[in-house]
Amino acid sequence: MSATLESEVRTRRGVTTSLHRTELVLAAVAVLGFTALAVTTQGNILQAGTLRAVLQFLAVPIVIGLAQMVVLAVGQMNLSVGVLTGLCAMVSASLMSDTGLPPWLAIPAGLAVGALVGLANGVLVVLTRINGFIVTLATMSVVSGLRYGINGTGTYQDYSPGLVALGRADVLGLPVVFLAAIATAVAVWVFFARSVAGRMLLASGGNPFAARLSGISNDRSLVVAHTLSGLLAGVAGVLVVALAGSVNASVGDDLLLPSFAAPIIGGVALTGGVVSVLGTCLAAFIVRLVDVAQAQYGINPRWVDLVVGAVVLGAVLVSQRRGRGSS
Amino acid sequence: MRVVCTQLVKLFPGVRALDGVDLDLRPGTVHALLGENGAGKSTLIKVLTGVHKADGGTVLVGEGDDEPDRPVVFSGPSDAQTAGIGVVHQERNLVPAFSVAENIALQALPSRAGLVDRAGVREIARRCLAMLDLDLDLDRPVAELSVAHMQLVEIAKALATDSQVLLLDEPTASLTAEEADRLYDVVRRLREQGHVVVLVTHKLEEVFAIADVVTVLRDGRSVAGSVPLSSLTRSDVVDLMVGRAHTERELQAREVDRSTTPALELRGVSTSVGHRDVDLAVHRGEIVGLYGLVGAGRSELVRALLGLDSVTGGSVLVDGRSVTIRSVGDALRRHRIGYVTENRKEEGVFLTQTVTRNVAVTVWDRLARLGLVAERRERDLLATYQERLGIRLSGPTQLAGQLSGGNQQKISLAKWLAADCSVLVIDEPTVGIDVRTKAAFHELIVQLSEQGLAILLISSDLPEMVALADRVAVMHERRLTGEVENSHDYAAMSGRIIRLVHGEQAADAPPAA
Repeated sequence: MSATLESEVRTRRGVTTSLHRTELVLAAVAVLGFTALAVTTQGNILQAGTLRAVLQFLAVPIVIGLAQMVVLAVGQMNLSVGVLTGLCAMVSASLMSDTGLPPWLAIPAGLAVGALVGLANGVLVVLTRINGFIVTLATMSVVSGLRYGINGTGTYQDYSPGLVALGRADVLGLPVVFLAAIATAVAVWVFFARSVAGRMLLASGGNPFAARLSGISNDRSLVVAHTLSGLLAGVAGVLVVALAGSVNASVGDDLLLPSFAAPIIGGVALTGGVVSVLGTCLAAFIVRLVDVAQAQYGINPRWVDLVVGAVVLGAVLVSQRRGRGSS
Repeated sequence: MRVVCTQLVKLFPGVRALDGVDLDLRPGTVHALLGENGAGKSTLIKVLTGVHKADGGTVLVGEGDDEPDRPVVFSGPSDAQTAGIGVVHQERNLVPAFSVAENIALQALPSRAGLVDRAGVREIARRCLAMLDLDLDLDRPVAELSVAHMQLVEIAKALATDSQVLLLDEPTASLTAEEADRLYDVVRRLREQGHVVVLVTHKLEEVFAIADVVTVLRDGRSVAGSVPLSSLTRSDVVDLMVGRAHTERELQAREVDRSTTPALELRGVSTSVGHRDVDLAVHRGEIVGLYGLVGAGRSELVRALLGLDSVTGGSVLVDGRSVTIRSVGDALRRHRIGYVTENRKEEGVFLTQTVTRNVAVTVWDRLARLGLVAERRERDLLATYQERLGIRLSGPTQLAGQLSGGNQQKISLAKWLAADCSVLVIDEPTVGIDVRTKAAFHELIVQLSEQGLAILLISSDLPEMVALADRVAVMHERRLTGEVENSHDYAAMSGRIIRLVHGEQAADAPPAA
């Protein structure tokens, strides 16, 4: 009995105390990578326009990474985050283009769709007791279909010049969408660090039985986590709408890997109970740098997926080693 | 608060787990709950804490020491908590990544506008730890605490909901003698404050050391309901538990021939998990005990030896030949070293597989013809060991998970015997096993050594160590601090071993490296 407990505790200890170390390492890698890119491109990346683009297109990866992190916190996965982002974007755009709704109604509607699908995921997981991986694999398929149901393969554009202008605007030299992503990250951080609901969610993820004996409903934690994940996918969808200026049903197809890459590289435990908002954001930035490097050097884009995939595997390996090695 | 249970009944499919249990918990007492495995202790605790709902009987709760008059029905753990009944389970139930303070306050996190009130959390934790006279760093993640400290945090956690009745399930199972003493101090303190502490345990020494009242369960009935302990002797209690006169078998000191080459020898071994300069030899026919505090690194040494971690220095000799063991399979097939693990449920047996497969798993490659394992051969193998070890089974297709703890442990042992091992490492063989099975197990281990097996016994149960081992090596912080020849005189032996445990030199110096 106690040997496995001890080994489990050792693993967790490795995870918790190394979290700050992970964040430090990621920060160092981010700074080094950015500097290296700046130097090798003769400062091209430092030009205002390039820098803006780097940060603008960092917004969605951060939020989608957080959407995945929230379910990883309870030891689950959400395979539907990518396509759900697409669905939310399509719903918002359709309401503005087809129904003529103003953005201040269409955006909450997009967020609501995300939260509702997330809620459905959570309720299905709790009611059926089927693993979240399988449930969200199924809903991924359903949501993907719904995405195409809205407007076929057609593209929405010119839905709201005001919203798009806002999406491309700057405040204090920083893109608005990037600031929105950072604000979202801060909100998620407050949720996990300070809110009762967030602490309960982490308790359920860290030790479900202990949580139950402390009067915490693990089912509730699962539903909250999935709903929040869906809501964050909705936020990502809205950011896409504001940023892109035109959306079609293929939005979100390439978001599943990034959604896992950010939290996993960021040091979030796959077993649940440990999250790192800062790590997730930094990891999203590093992945973004890989993208930038690809564009700057004219590398075949397929290499990016390969590199990111390999880094994710590596990150999981490193965190396992660390868990085993520390004592 | 006083709690009186009358004629509690709990039915499971095919079993009357509780069949008329009476219990009277009075404030300011330490109440021992005794019984062999399967007697119904765990079920009773689960009923009292709202995990299970009783199928019959009543639970009455009253203020102070008055005759209770308020009937209660718990439909979930939180109901029991609200009523003032707290529990510390055998398994640690803390959230590893959370701080000490937050774990203590988790059941009712103080909050303001949906945000956790951190000052409030620390205030609760400080108050509860003060009741226990404990000084722990409130902000430390519990994952960094020792097992003993985690347990104290759980007690503090139970106090946070103002528990007047505190159930401790096998609290000292993974504690050393000194840590257990510390826990007893805490228990006494709680008694002085007017709490009821219910102690579920297998250790009679413990019961006689701190309990005032005892309830003994047998086959789901209370055969002694809330009897003052002062009116009973130790053997009375054992009789009540087993239901027949029971004599503890005394094992005599044995002569072991140590002139031969040791079956297993470590010379100056260091490991990747921090062991340094470990010298240890086990001869054929000998039982060498490896004693130490929980966390001293005993199991870890064996795991490194078997290739689960790595040996980084010194040499390992099997029958005098220097060897490198890369994996458990290597240890088993090339060097005939078997490892009976401590956690039979997690590591020792495959709970969802039949007993036949469990026994044969180590020797499938030997039983197989053309890559296929014939079921008949497996059954023959099982039959051999079923008789030799006295394993009680309903049939060869019974699932290992359906067996009692003692029989599971025997299956785990049979598996290694089947592999024809010449060296057996047995880790905590009788944790959580009842008195009667324990004695049988001890005899079995001695028999095995008499048949020529070299046995390295890891145990945190000092009486067990003194009963079984021919020699006891003591480990402290991943080094061996000494070795004691066993005189089988408990008082003398325990004194010498305990001194070594705390890093002092024994009267007889350890053999030169």
